[in-house]
Amino acid sequence: MTPRNLDPAALLATGADIVRREALALDEKRWDDWLALYAEDCEYWMPAWTSDDRLGADPRTEVSYFYYDSRRGLEDRVARIRSGRSPASTPAPRTVHILDNVRLRAPAEGDALRLGAAWVCHVYFPRSRQSHAFFGLVEHDLALRGDAWLITRKKIVLQNEYVPTMLDIYCV
Amino acid sequence: MRHLSTIIDDRPDDGVFRLHRDAFVDPEIFELEHKFIFARSWNFLTLETQLAAPHDFVTSFIGRTPVLVTRDGRGGLNGFVNTCRHKGALLCGAERGNARYHTCPYHGWAYDSAGRNADIKDRKAAAYAPAFDGESHDLLPLAKLATYKGLVFGSLSPDVPSLEDFLGDMRFFIDVAMDQSEHGMELVPGRMVYTYRANWKLQLDNNLDPYHLTSTHQSFLGVQARRRQGAGYAEARGYDWAKRAKTRAGAFTFRHGHAVYWTDQPEPEKRPIYPILDALKRRVGADRAEWMLKNRNAQIFPNLQIADTAALMLRTYRPLAVDRTEMRSYCLAPIGESVERRAWRLRQFEDFFNPSGFATPDDTVVYEDCQAGFGAEGLAYLQGYERGMAATRAGGDDTAAALGIRPERSVVGTFETGIETGLHGPYREWRRLIQAGLDGAKAYA
Repeated sequence: MTPRNLDPAALLATGADIVRREALALDEKRWDDWLALYAEDCEYWMPAWTSDDRLGADPRTEVSYFYYDSRRGLEDRVARIRSGRSPASTPAPRTVHILDNVRLRAPAEGDALRLGAAWVCHVYFPRSRQSHAFFGLVEHDLALRGDAWLITRKKIVLQNEYVPTMLDIYCV
Repeated sequence: MRHLSTIIDDRPDDGVFRLHRDAFVDPEIFELEHKFIFARSWNFLTLETQLAAPHDFVTSFIGRTPVLVTRDGRGGLNGFVNTCRHKGALLCGAERGNARYHTCPYHGWAYDSAGRNADIKDRKAAAYAPAFDGESHDLLPLAKLATYKGLVFGSLSPDVPSLEDFLGDMRFFIDVAMDQSEHGMELVPGRMVYTYRANWKLQLDNNLDPYHLTSTHQSFLGVQARRRQGAGYAEARGYDWAKRAKTRAGAFTFRHGHAVYWTDQPEPEKRPIYPILDALKRRVGADRAEWMLKNRNAQIFPNLQIADTAALMLRTYRPLAVDRTEMRSYCLAPIGESVERRAWRLRQFEDFFNPSGFATPDDTVVYEDCQAGFGAEGLAYLQGYERGMAATRAGGDDTAAALGIRPERSVVGTFETGIETGLHGPYREWRRLIQAGLDGAKAYA
């Protein structure tokens, strides 16, 4: 079945399911499942704020919290998390992602669609016995590759950017 | 003061330098640091290129004092206490911008970009007494404001040496960062602001501590090794830290608490300035260009660090409490560099220095481990300041002579020496400034 044959409600349901599965994979630390949701040529981007009221717009000329233009960058993140040799990752912080307002952001074109969502990620850092809630907005671009929808682009906007001690890909 | 005289057990002739953990946990010492260090010396504020146009402004802090730096209508650079004269409210809440006037959000008093009071709301109807009219209502200026190579420093105290004297021969290590472009250097848009729950001196310490790299950052080294085997994000152009183990390394300490740790550069081709090296050599000379390629961790006491290691980074910090610190880190870059080299620089910077990167989070988390560990009853003196002790000597070494600089002390070894004696300079100055304050003496003779 091609996307053209799907009505917007069915497309939204398909996309939202992937966005939710991603959040759950992070919360359950199923890193391979998380990576498998991404296309190899994906872009993963969380721009830095350039002032109180302006978000970075170009990862080539402005600082980003994360910028990878291939899944290999995400594989690096997972390698570090799993290494057992990162004090910031050991013992592993525990997270719960809450997603809301998942919507189609643009009409589906061909085999691609864009979703927007609001998110809160509660993080508990066992090492310091501290909890923090990061929150923001997110856009996911999805594309049908073969018979699977994959994430081809994720752009995260961290709204509360005053970072306590550290953050990692599972905190947002 | 109960124990300042014993807080550093500093006996160079006996080969001893030990710091007491109270330096990091005693609230009384923390207050003395604000009073006698931050409030009585030059503090880094911002970069001049952040204030390029008339009426541009940047807000910052000297210790607890909020500061407003402005470019006035005539192009002059000014520094003020960022506090309204009326009720003491923070005048400008934005971190930077452009404004001809700054109006207090509380009662509407307004100041121009040169700090002059421009309006007291409803003044004519105020029935002020003549005494009020006799007072200045302008913003309080900083006692001193000066720039060196585009770095803007301010002081709340007038009793400081000239900025050039204050920086002394540490200027060489500022030059090799700030002269990397003939057009000047800029802070790449997008700053990282983060906090950690530990004392500010853990950040001071970490920058001049090469010894932690191969333990704290094992996971980062692991990611780099993985990339060399063809996996992972090679675009970040990480360095092969194994190649650094045997490189020559050294440290210099200078008057007024400045210090630098350096190593030779086994992989100069990974520097984003490498493609323009010939032009750099022609402009600054071959020796300085070579030092631009080396790894350097510079500490400009008390609140500025410029590291040129995984990438060129400028970092400043602000002590919020004895066990809480705010960090701001920036990617420092040549103005006008190509988009390709800028992206190259950014990926290296983000990879290591971001609070979301592969290395800095492991530092900040370990600072918190230290702060927790300092609670140990019975732990008095730390043993973290003595690697390189037997190789450390007074005055300059051959490297210093070749550079024409006169450090107070020099040490040379290899990366594996894990030189810790570069920290003696900042901590001796830390002790000197607090002691001068306690003695009722001026901070600088």
